Amino acid sequence: MPDPDVLIVGAGPSGAVAAKRLAEEGFAVTVLEQGDWPDYGKARPEAADFDITATRDWAWDPNARAGKADYPIDDSESDITALMWNGVGGGTIVYAAQWQRNMPSDFRVRSLDGIADDWPLTYEELEPYYVRVEKDFGISGVANDTAFPPGEGPPLPAVPLGPAGRKVARAHNELGWHWWPAPNAIATRAYGALSPCVQRGVCLKACKDRAKGTVDITHWPVAQDAGVELITKATVREVTTNAEGLATGVVYLDDEGAEHALRAGVVILAANGIGTPRLLLMSGAPDGLANSSGLVGKRLMMHPFGTVVGLFEDELESWQGPWGQWLHSLEFYETDESRGFVRGAKWGLQPTGAPLSMTTSYPWGAENPIWGPGFHEGFAKRFGRSAMWGIIAEDLPEESNRVVLGDGTDRHGIRGAKIVYEMSENSTRLMHFHEERAAESLRAAGAYETVIAPQIRATGWHLLGTAKMGTDPATSVVDAWGRTHDVPNLFVFDGSVWPTSAGMNPTATIAAMSLRMTEALIASRREQAVAA
Amino acid sequence: MTVVLFDAEARAKLAALADALIPAGNGMPSASEAGVAGEWLDAILTADPGFAGPLAAVLEHADVADPEGALRKIETTDPGGWGALTTVVAGAYFLNPEIARRVGYPGRRAIPIDADAEPDWAQDGLLQSVKARGPVYRPTP
Repeated sequence: MPDPDVLIVGAGPSGAVAAKRLAEEGFAVTVLEQGDWPDYGKARPEAADFDITATRDWAWDPNARAGKADYPIDDSESDITALMWNGVGGGTIVYAAQWQRNMPSDFRVRSLDGIADDWPLTYEELEPYYVRVEKDFGISGVANDTAFPPGEGPPLPAVPLGPAGRKVARAHNELGWHWWPAPNAIATRAYGALSPCVQRGVCLKACKDRAKGTVDITHWPVAQDAGVELITKATVREVTTNAEGLATGVVYLDDEGAEHALRAGVVILAANGIGTPRLLLMSGAPDGLANSSGLVGKRLMMHPFGTVVGLFEDELESWQGPWGQWLHSLEFYETDESRGFVRGAKWGLQPTGAPLSMTTSYPWGAENPIWGPGFHEGFAKRFGRSAMWGIIAEDLPEESNRVVLGDGTDRHGIRGAKIVYEMSENSTRLMHFHEERAAESLRAAGAYETVIAPQIRATGWHLLGTAKMGTDPATSVVDAWGRTHDVPNLFVFDGSVWPTSAGMNPTATIAAMSLRMTEALIASRREQAVAA
Repeated sequence: MTVVLFDAEARAKLAALADALIPAGNGMPSASEAGVAGEWLDAILTADPGFAGPLAAVLEHADVADPEGALRKIETTDPGGWGALTTVVAGAYFLNPEIARRVGYPGRRAIPIDADAEPDWAQDGLLQSVKARGPVYRPTP
């Protein structure tokens, strides 16, 4: 079999977008994925014991999951633990499907707020790619949200607001605060390979109804039909290079541990904000590959996450619904320095879950114990009569927050990762402000009581910034097209390249960026250097 | 996998702790009355045998002569054990279909979105005031 033109490491959203597009243009593409296809036989939301089995079968923390595809992540020096799904579909398998474009200011943080860095592209440059990936992922929403420049919206109508969403929408109208029907990667109609959502409220634990826009459904079958070779249970150990400084391919281990060297013209890393720097750091002695800037692994951003719950008198049936989000608010997203911090956060209104979720310390807080004589009364207040704002806080890039190689090893003896991450003073102030405003929102909507959830560690869904994009090789790892400055045929297409984190769920922008970078690679195919 | 058996003594200990967590009240039965230490414990352990080891460790060291005191000690000194105990007790309680019925939980039903109905976000002019306020973003400089 001839060597592929392009080899992609990772079968999550960025790899899927790239592989599908490259195959459409006739490239020979091989993809190596350390995990396997999701087993939807384990997604049984109709089963009474699903809340017990799902915590195990669809666990987000790779350390807790400790599956065959997982590598250990030492988080002993991190305020937040890293969450991911290592398998075909990547993070989309367990994401909430909250599909948020970044706002124009997210690309111009330095210019507008005097901090961090501008991106080497603008919202307007990325906007056509948002429109296209929204069609591919089957996004639902409503066009012309006033928090974004006007333009083409997603292909499907938004999910219902539901009774809780309507309360909050009316309250925001009275407060004069922004809200909009939520954009979600949740099909509200039959669309391509997707089926319409039936609102079981289990998006975060895999969607067996095939309503969630996950790339194992929306992209990989199409890519494979177009000729992409997707090899699962293939763990990449290193990117190989030649004397000319070009990537020659990778070395990977198969399920049985047998070693394979695979050559390719171009190598694209799409292994997420921890997996990608881990692989780069393992690949070139002594400081890692593509690391002349010294920035590989640095500037890790994970979005501190806040939750505020409102308790209502009315029956809201709040264990059902898309989860997902019913609506979002970007009222306090933009910088207002009078608040004592810069940047902001996005809010998404969500259900609170099934009976077992009413008893947990998150989001209810250890200071609000339900156990003992007040159990039944407390349960009745919470169950079916509550809704919560999820708050995605922008964290600023700091070189001290980083990914390095860990001392632990995976099942093949390959080193894991270690993350060092401290929540900044700016993030702490930002979170406190937003939590108070979110509580105000819920009270205005009729909540007779609000609960600000404790900050917990297990919120690192968004892994960003560890192979920074920029125009200066001294201060960035990749250029505006994802090409590493040091190795001309080695690319990074995942969230590692983000110069700043925005305060949005990142998959929309990860996907749009991947499509944009892929098409730049296609356009430059004749000039692309490859190893002999 | 090591099979952990819960004998009568262990189940009695669990019942004592579980009733301190979920006592009878408001017309609802206590945890043990709902079978938390009986068939619904078995159901939980069938669903996820991984709870057996941590639960057995908690029960082994618990002094249930003072259930409330034992719970305070577990919560403050053994977060992992506390998590396993409370998940098993609450999980088993709500697995009992009679309990689920009485709290009004019918399970996660399939509720199709009515494609022919006017979306609720389009009703009552809800979005008009948002639109009337105009853009809330800072444009690209």
